Amino acid sequence: MRRIIVVISVLAIVSIAAFFYWQSQQRAPVATEIVALQSAQGAEGFARVTEPREMQFPQDHGPHFDYQTEWWYYTGNLTAEDGRRFGYQLTFFRRGISPGVVTARASDWATNQIYFAHFAITDEKNNSHNEAEIFERGAAGLAGASGEPFHVWIDNWSATGSNPDASAVKLLADDAKMALDLNLNASKPPVVHGENGVSQKTETKGNASYYVSFTRMPTTGTIRINGENFSVTGDSWFDHEWGTTALGENAAGWDWFSIQLDSDQELMFFQIRNKDGSIELLSSGTLVEADGSTKYLKRDEVKISVLDTWTSPVSGGKYPSKWRVEIPSANLDLTLTPLIADQEMRVSFTYWEGAVDVKGTSNGKNVRGQGYVEMTGYGNARGDVGY
Amino acid sequence: MHLTLFKTILRDQLHRPWLTLLLILSVALGVAVVVAVDLANASATRAFQLSTEVIVGKATHQIVGGANGFDDSVYRNLRLQGFRNAAPIVEGYAGAKELGGQTMRVLGIDLFAEPPFRTYITAGTNVDVNALTAFYTQPGAVLISADSAARYNLKVGDTLTLQIGTQKKPVTIVGLMRQPNEVSSRVLEGLILTDIASAQELFGLDGKLTRIDLIATDEQANKIAAALPEGLRLVRASEQADTVTQLTAAFQLNLTAFSLLALAVGMFLIYNTVMFSVVQRRRMLGILRCVGVTGREIFLLIMSEAALLGLIGSLIGLGLGMLLGRLTVALVTQTINDLYFTLTVSDVNVDAFSLVKGLLLGISSALLAAALPAYEASAVPAVTVLQRSDLEDRIRRLLPRLNVIGAVLIVIGAAILIFGQSNVALLFGGIFIALFGLVLYVPVVTIFLMRIATATLGRFGLIARMASRTVTQALSRTSVAIASLMVAVAVVIGVTVMIASFRSTVENWLAQTLNADFYITTPLAGANRVVTMDPALVEKARAVEGVQNIEVLRSVTVRGLETGDLRLNATQGGVARESRIFRSYSGDPSKIYEQLNAGAIAITEPFANKHHVAEGDTLTLLTDKGAQSFPIVGVYYDYSSDQGSILMSLDVYRKFWNDPKISGFSVYVAPSYDVNQVEDAVRVALSGNDVTVQSNRALRDAALVIFDRTFAITRALQVIAIAVAFIGILSALMALQLERTRELGTLRATGMTLRQLWRLTLLESGLMGAAAGILAIPVGLVLAAILIYVINLRSFGWTIFFTSVPEVYVQALVVSIGAALIAAIYPMVRLSHLQVIEALREE
Amino acid sequence: MVSANGNIKEAFIRFGNVTKTFHEGDQERAVLQGVNAELARGEFVAIVGRSGSGKSTLLNLLAGLDTPTHGDIFVDAINIAKLNDNDRTLFRRKHIGFVFQFFNLIPTLTVRENVLMTAELAGWKEADAQAQANRLLDAVALRERADVFPDKLSGGEQQRVAIARALCADAELILADEPTGNLDAETGAKILELLVQLAREKNKTLVMVTHSSEIAEQADRVLRMEDGKLKVGN
Repeated sequence: MRRIIVVISVLAIVSIAAFFYWQSQQRAPVATEIVALQSAQGAEGFARVTEPREMQFPQDHGPHFDYQTEWWYYTGNLTAEDGRRFGYQLTFFRRGISPGVVTARASDWATNQIYFAHFAITDEKNNSHNEAEIFERGAAGLAGASGEPFHVWIDNWSATGSNPDASAVKLLADDAKMALDLNLNASKPPVVHGENGVSQKTETKGNASYYVSFTRMPTTGTIRINGENFSVTGDSWFDHEWGTTALGENAAGWDWFSIQLDSDQELMFFQIRNKDGSIELLSSGTLVEADGSTKYLKRDEVKISVLDTWTSPVSGGKYPSKWRVEIPSANLDLTLTPLIADQEMRVSFTYWEGAVDVKGTSNGKNVRGQGYVEMTGYGNARGDVGY
Repeated sequence: MHLTLFKTILRDQLHRPWLTLLLILSVALGVAVVVAVDLANASATRAFQLSTEVIVGKATHQIVGGANGFDDSVYRNLRLQGFRNAAPIVEGYAGAKELGGQTMRVLGIDLFAEPPFRTYITAGTNVDVNALTAFYTQPGAVLISADSAARYNLKVGDTLTLQIGTQKKPVTIVGLMRQPNEVSSRVLEGLILTDIASAQELFGLDGKLTRIDLIATDEQANKIAAALPEGLRLVRASEQADTVTQLTAAFQLNLTAFSLLALAVGMFLIYNTVMFSVVQRRRMLGILRCVGVTGREIFLLIMSEAALLGLIGSLIGLGLGMLLGRLTVALVTQTINDLYFTLTVSDVNVDAFSLVKGLLLGISSALLAAALPAYEASAVPAVTVLQRSDLEDRIRRLLPRLNVIGAVLIVIGAAILIFGQSNVALLFGGIFIALFGLVLYVPVVTIFLMRIATATLGRFGLIARMASRTVTQALSRTSVAIASLMVAVAVVIGVTVMIASFRSTVENWLAQTLNADFYITTPLAGANRVVTMDPALVEKARAVEGVQNIEVLRSVTVRGLETGDLRLNATQGGVARESRIFRSYSGDPSKIYEQLNAGAIAITEPFANKHHVAEGDTLTLLTDKGAQSFPIVGVYYDYSSDQGSILMSLDVYRKFWNDPKISGFSVYVAPSYDVNQVEDAVRVALSGNDVTVQSNRALRDAALVIFDRTFAITRALQVIAIAVAFIGILSALMALQLERTRELGTLRATGMTLRQLWRLTLLESGLMGAAAGILAIPVGLVLAAILIYVINLRSFGWTIFFTSVPEVYVQALVVSIGAALIAAIYPMVRLSHLQVIEALREE
Repeated sequence: MVSANGNIKEAFIRFGNVTKTFHEGDQERAVLQGVNAELARGEFVAIVGRSGSGKSTLLNLLAGLDTPTHGDIFVDAINIAKLNDNDRTLFRRKHIGFVFQFFNLIPTLTVRENVLMTAELAGWKEADAQAQANRLLDAVALRERADVFPDKLSGGEQQRVAIARALCADAELILADEPTGNLDAETGAKILELLVQLAREKNKTLVMVTHSSEIAEQADRVLRMEDGKLKVGN
């Protein structure tokens, strides 16, 4: 869910920031400007998430062109044979400028879709975090998405289903400094988040998304970082979310957590922070038990305390960097520590997305685990002067 | 330099403002012409570079293909293999009625691939997000420059009607492009930017690209090149740009040479004026010498005066040149557009380098021209021995030596012309040297002519004899004036004969080669521009009653292995009908067309000269089927392009290139039908398609219009040369009179009427003009011969058949004598004011 | 050498067998045919003779405006006959003041500028040259006209300016070529008086070419030219 907020919030501000950004970075500002437009303009004509949806897999893993925004989000914690720890993120975003797909034009290149992707690898040993971003038009075979067979790609970055129900995928991404080639195989069925399958963001009807995850996908493959290849294994987490949504005007940013515990439980929770410092009432989460059963978590069931902070030397943003997450109703008490402090994503818009280590107790027993945390709205530079 | 000494000169200048003005004007005129031409050239070159910068951007390499673009899978594969520094381009030309009918470059781009390459819309907040969204998604959405929009009163939301090929397509302006920098924003004015999808649709290039720009290391580029399919090639971006600039190099150099000629004539004038001022000041200089001013100081005095006036004249010349530049830039741009490539230059680009060059040229030519008079001044004897100038004696003693030097210069010039190959700068250097050599014979020939004049005119009385003797006695003044007028008129004769010969050659060629009754092309067709037409139109035309035969032309740019990009004209089966006049061929001349149909090619004369190939050689062309060798069977005359082209049978072309499109076709009407009626019927049959139907006659006329336009600037320069020469004659006459004030006073005192003195002046001037005119004829013919047989053949590769233009000789005499007589008017007016008593008192 | 007043003086100027030949077309004409003479410092010498007798040529040679075909001309031990044009000019600048028949003022310079120019050419400092010019303009009684241009002056006034000019650079030798020839008798006499007075005051050597025997009478010595040869005495 949280990424919706990433995109939308970002979009709103980038149009202002783009000029300065362009001057300093010389990167794809056109795309961000176009994308930015979307927050300014309404989402007229697009379908909105108002009703529960009967998910049809595998086609619902594919694109939903009636909705404005959609993404496929892979994160994971990996370990090399020598025990060296890595985190990765590979995200594909789709943005529709108008509903539906273009069919009436002679040129293959005609489109109303913009695709962009973020790719990052965290290397704990070298205390390094690299990120990359690409944009592409959703046409001419350069970028696109399909459900059957499952395939999402931009240039040579892709997620390709290895079986018909898309529970197994191959991820490929390649950039100057890094690359990955991973095979993911879900060990649990897909989870549909939200109350009755609708992940509500604010009280306004339609400010919501459909949100589907594979919360645990055992992963093997190789990654390359700075010219060095590593065989890795680990667990990935896949989110697929779509909707036509805008945040409330009060929102300042959000925090999102995905946690995989060695008790074979998984936890997703997000909270939207308001400008007045309060937490949006509709913040929520999902607990997945070892048997695959899920429990919807309301905001007041989860208590999150910030234990430490880190200030980005680049953006100047002051981020939480250690948390205690307490869920008495599930008998969970966890402490989250980032793998490395600086996992800030400095792409067209700045946010923090990084691998964390988890320790704590579940039902009174000691548990360990790992996860990914995303935070926006902390920076006071560039794209994240929160909304 | 002593201040007081300098005052003597400066105050003297103020006492004789018109003389000062004349000198300044002569420098200014010369400099103005040079600067104007230079600015025009520099503006054209700079405009070209800027548009290259805008169009090519930061690309290091480009992938280019055939005339009809290439499959976009090439780009997709690059991207999917992770090569991201690549930008797809679909590009073409379109006329836009709403933009004053100019030919615009339509550039179809992918916004997401652009940022590393070009900045015209991506830099900053040029184009707002609404515009970008519309640009990206809306069919036919275009961006034009804000300046163009302002000029033509267009705004966002307005529709433009693009003339593309034979069709008119409406597009919508969704935004305006601005550039922070004025110069680069000018380039945008020739540009219509659109999304690549829209561009494909506008040009009917669905699924195709015309170019891929790359930013790649050599290693990457080599790898990419190796993987390219047949028919595509990878070129360095700079290489592409160089080829285009080389196209106009010879043309621009020709202009520069002519402008230098104007400056050279200007130098004669400066010489005259400075000499005049020295003559006037002989007495003062004599006094100065007497009281102890050294010759060297006097030399420096005159030179610094010339430098000062040269500087002032040059500065004025710069201003004038910039004004004149507006005119020349239009002429130059027009020619480049007619003959070479589409170029938008809406303003004169005032290049600091051109200005500095003009300034230095002006001052140094003033100094050079003043050196001899200054030397003479330094040799002025002290006042007490002031006698009739012994310069004349010296000149006369120098004559044999001048003639020897002249002969040497002529030989050197001729040698350069003979052995100078095709280096245009060198060849013009040769012309200048030879011309200067010829000029050195002016004094001796003048003496000879005046002797004849004395013998023939002498019968008409004393005044006639006096006139011809004056011309001889004041040889140092008169010969320079005669020489400058002679050079100017000779240039006019030379250029006129050359242009006339060229024109009649082209006319004959058109008459002999254009055999069809009418021609169908697209409105945008022009030199070196690939235009495309739907082949279906041919069948529509063929169905018209009275159409006996149709010949199809496909004209495209292809790549030759040995020659680089070249123009290929492919004509259908009946090649034989469109007769070509062969300069040379191999084998049986009657079999040439059979050989062409069997896969051989013929080349035009400029092509043969440019690439040093001839019949019997082969050319390797990169076809869609890979590299292929084609034997050359003949070289034919062609005056349509100085770049040359090759001729191939259309069937052969289509065998090797996947290109079913055509560029135009010609129609032959059956004998029993009325050509006009059939032409109208074809027009009706093709209505709805925007084609140009031109009759044989109209096409010929159109070609000649372009021809004349090309030489418009040359003619303009001639006029200026004449003007400069005219002022030269005027100042020479003034010098003569001033020098002879006492003599004239005596003549008046002894009873000669004012009218008689006028006659004397008119006669003297007329004799000088006549001498210049007579001398100009042979020199002009030599010049014409050089231009025709050396310059044009070597630098443009055209054989021109010499055509004699008898009226030009009469014209030359009339112009020379007329200019001289008009120049005599002012001195005659001064004569009326001559105070006899004072004149007599003068020493 | 004995001067007119009988004192023995060392020779300041010496002509040694000076000849001058002009080419006129193919013909040669000998204007000076072996002139020998010595002049003392401070002496006023008049050269008289008919037109074409060679007196002006002699003056020109002495001025360094021309060189003799043969012979030596020593001025203060310098043989100006052997100097090149440039050195003769520099010599002239320093040592010779010239007064012409036709005044020959520079029309584009003011009276003062005409006068001080010679001092300036001789390398005087500007202030010194100005002061000297003013003194001399006082001496010729033209101070109040110092800033007008020569064409506003009468002939006599112009010649007084020319005298001031000739003296301005403190040249030791004043050459005068018919200085009164273009003036009426009365003015001429005044000019002559002024010139001679100033030359004597400043102990200058004055060499004057003249037709007038009246003027010649005022000279310390008269050299008579006849057919290119010098006849001593009246």
